[in-house]
Amino acid sequence: MKLPYLLAACALSIAMIGSAQAKTPTDQLIIGMSMNNLLSLDPAGATGNDVVEVNANMYDSLVELDPADTYKILPGLAESWSVAADNRSITFKIRKGVKFHSGNPLTAEDAAWSLQRVLKLNLALASVWKGYGFTAANVEQNIRALDAETLVLTLPEPTDPKLVVYTLGTSVGAMVLDRKKVLANEKDGDMGRAWLTTNEAGSGPFALNEWRQKDVLLMTRYDGYWRSPAKLKRVVLRHMTESQTLRLMLERGDIDVANGMSVPDVEAMKKNPNVGIEAVKRGNVYYVAVSVKDAKFADKRVRLAIRNLIDYDGINKTVMPNYGLYHQRPVQMGLPATLPNPGYKLDVPAARKLLAEAGFPNGFKTTIRVLSDPPFINIATNLQSTLALGGIEASVIPGTGNQVYGAMRDRQFEIIVGRGGGGAEPHPHSSLRSLVYNPDNRDEAKLTNFQGWRTSFISPEINALIEKAEIEQDEKKQTAMYQEIQKLYDQQVGAIQPVSQMVDTVVLQKDVRNFHSHPASTTRWREVSKQR
Amino acid sequence: MSIFFPSGRSARRLTSFGHRLGIVAVTLLGLLALTFFIGRVMPLDPVLSIVGSDADQSTYDQVFKQLGLDQPLYTQFAYYLRDLLHGDLGRALLTGNAVTADIARVFPATIELATIAILFGTFVGVPLGVFAATRKGRMGDQVVRVISLCGYSVPVFWFGMMGLIIFYAWLDWAGGAGRVDLAFDGLVQSRTGLLLVDSALAGEWEVFHSAIKHITLPACILGLHSMAYIARMTRSFMLAQLSQEYIITARVKGLSEHEVIWNHAFRNILVQLLTIVALAYGSLLEGAVLIETVFAWPGFGSYLTSSLLLGDMNAVMGCVLLIGIIFVTLNLIADALYQVFDPRTR
Repeated sequence: MKLPYLLAACALSIAMIGSAQAKTPTDQLIIGMSMNNLLSLDPAGATGNDVVEVNANMYDSLVELDPADTYKILPGLAESWSVAADNRSITFKIRKGVKFHSGNPLTAEDAAWSLQRVLKLNLALASVWKGYGFTAANVEQNIRALDAETLVLTLPEPTDPKLVVYTLGTSVGAMVLDRKKVLANEKDGDMGRAWLTTNEAGSGPFALNEWRQKDVLLMTRYDGYWRSPAKLKRVVLRHMTESQTLRLMLERGDIDVANGMSVPDVEAMKKNPNVGIEAVKRGNVYYVAVSVKDAKFADKRVRLAIRNLIDYDGINKTVMPNYGLYHQRPVQMGLPATLPNPGYKLDVPAARKLLAEAGFPNGFKTTIRVLSDPPFINIATNLQSTLALGGIEASVIPGTGNQVYGAMRDRQFEIIVGRGGGGAEPHPHSSLRSLVYNPDNRDEAKLTNFQGWRTSFISPEINALIEKAEIEQDEKKQTAMYQEIQKLYDQQVGAIQPVSQMVDTVVLQKDVRNFHSHPASTTRWREVSKQR
Repeated sequence: MSIFFPSGRSARRLTSFGHRLGIVAVTLLGLLALTFFIGRVMPLDPVLSIVGSDADQSTYDQVFKQLGLDQPLYTQFAYYLRDLLHGDLGRALLTGNAVTADIARVFPATIELATIAILFGTFVGVPLGVFAATRKGRMGDQVVRVISLCGYSVPVFWFGMMGLIIFYAWLDWAGGAGRVDLAFDGLVQSRTGLLLVDSALAGEWEVFHSAIKHITLPACILGLHSMAYIARMTRSFMLAQLSQEYIITARVKGLSEHEVIWNHAFRNILVQLLTIVALAYGSLLEGAVLIETVFAWPGFGSYLTSSLLLGDMNAVMGCVLLIGIIFVTLNLIADALYQVFDPRTR
């Protein structure tokens, strides 16, 4: 054979091999994702979104929120529930016949104990419950099982019961544990904490088979699941941090779902007919925050100047596609109470004028702390350039989440580009409590879980209105109050300026059916199947 | 002479052994102390990694205390040393496992990868280096030097991505990410942690085949760097030997070129080469973070890096101690082999 023919034959064979696509097994779902943030499986100590998704498939909640319409509360382990006329207690009727993976029957006592455990251990997930007035001391009295099928939550402080039910449907800390199994693995009175870090005691559609940290997590179908067994036999999560590797494996058909791909790779995958892209809006916002503790930013005119020096359009058009959606309000997008965007724009002359009035005609020097990952670093770079237009010389200090939010918690920053805002519950209070509310501005108060406190911005008027709106029973009046808060926040120029509402993008094979990413990260795989 | 009073030569050996042991102990202690104190002043907060950035202060304070971070630094270090003497490296704060168990899980994956990489690097690098030295300044030498330069200077990350695109995505010769196809994951019971060995021992040849397919590409790419280094060093050592008078004498005596190169010149660079290979192997065992990242290889390098980034100092200290032991051991082995290959050092 002559050389050109030989080369052509080689090229053809290579092309043919290249076009062959491997397939994952039809009864398994293979998910590629970074497991760097998957640290503990214990529902009481879980942090980050990844563990929420994993636990949502190994455990059950009392209620669930419909992924298509998060206002819609669906029954879970609770068949039904009722709120007392005074809004101070909620009674749940627990479903009969549900069994944990261990075979133990699930009762209201398990549900009560699981919630009590969160408060008693006082780990990451306790914070939200403490916000409703529950404490380790009062939790046994306020969360009680009347019998095997009746659970009563008495609210220690007045709040909107709907908000509490939303939390029960979204918080991983509200998932129900197999009390007997956990206690059998208790060590030194730790309520099974050490054991639950790497094991599970749930009743969900999948049972944990094996977890090798930062390698692979295997789950197998639980055939005794009370709804009906999941469609897939096995779910495999494989640790992959490199976006290009995820893309190649997805293109080759070696994984079904890719989480956490970079934007250029997601964009490239849009051209691939074999994959689909699912974007889901989360409750968090990307923001630019200033520290009011800093004398410069204590001046409202300087904060307003900063607001005028953010290129909202530029950031949202160039940096945020697949990461976020244009949004400028401290209440998450899409709620009835959320006001339309105020339309803040980059306005350099206005900013310069404000800075001159505030005594900074030549600007000043400052720092921007930011996570070194996209899109944070890109937003910060953009901000740095627009601040310079106003005469503000900002140096960017990149760091890990730990370093950036650590400095914020210590109130040791000037400007931060970050993300936050609670927002798992589809309720304005969830966002406002996290981003705006600051009931005690003293350093000693250390209200580190409130981002409002971290910025040292305090408005007694807004605080009072947030507290009032939370307990308002008339929905219309409540909505009006939340809208009033947003107007006040706009007028008072709050320290946190939202830029974009967070979006999470998942890329998946076209043959994967019924994979619905949940805005609260409780994506459930029990209905997922493959159509080939 | 009784065993309690050894003869002069044995006594000298014992003293020398004790001296070495002392140096090793002091080195490791110094390494641990340095890592411990650097770890404590790093701006990374393990508490925040555990409780998350939105936890309230009481949760933060509770975990801070549970981790013993409220104790003075010297007390924390003393506790660490006490536990270490009992063989306890502590718990990895973030995985909840004993550090020894975590290392026992991730280290075999790296041993497997590094061993194949160093074999590739040595068995390709040494002949290339000898070949280049014997053709100094000619085309063959230039080609080897360019290959070495590329292997040494092109980022391993780039090689990894290109390798995946060509050999995995296009040609389907290599496995993708991970140690084995997911369909085989968990099929073989772990005995040694070395998947190739475990699957062979279990007679699971399909798993073995899949494991080979998965390891070949990352190991070769990882080995490229070592190969380039070894080839350059071999060339340089060989050039030094080939200009020696005893080589001219050997040629004058009429020995074949093969005998001159391999039996005379090469034998004399073995000692130096051993050091080079041992150190290269040590660096590979230390972990190849980038390759492990690209190939989603659950190895020691990525474990160490992610622990470091999260401020998990128990895990970091355990890893550093192991790295120290590896280097000390490799140095001791190299020293011992010196004595085998070079009678002057006996």
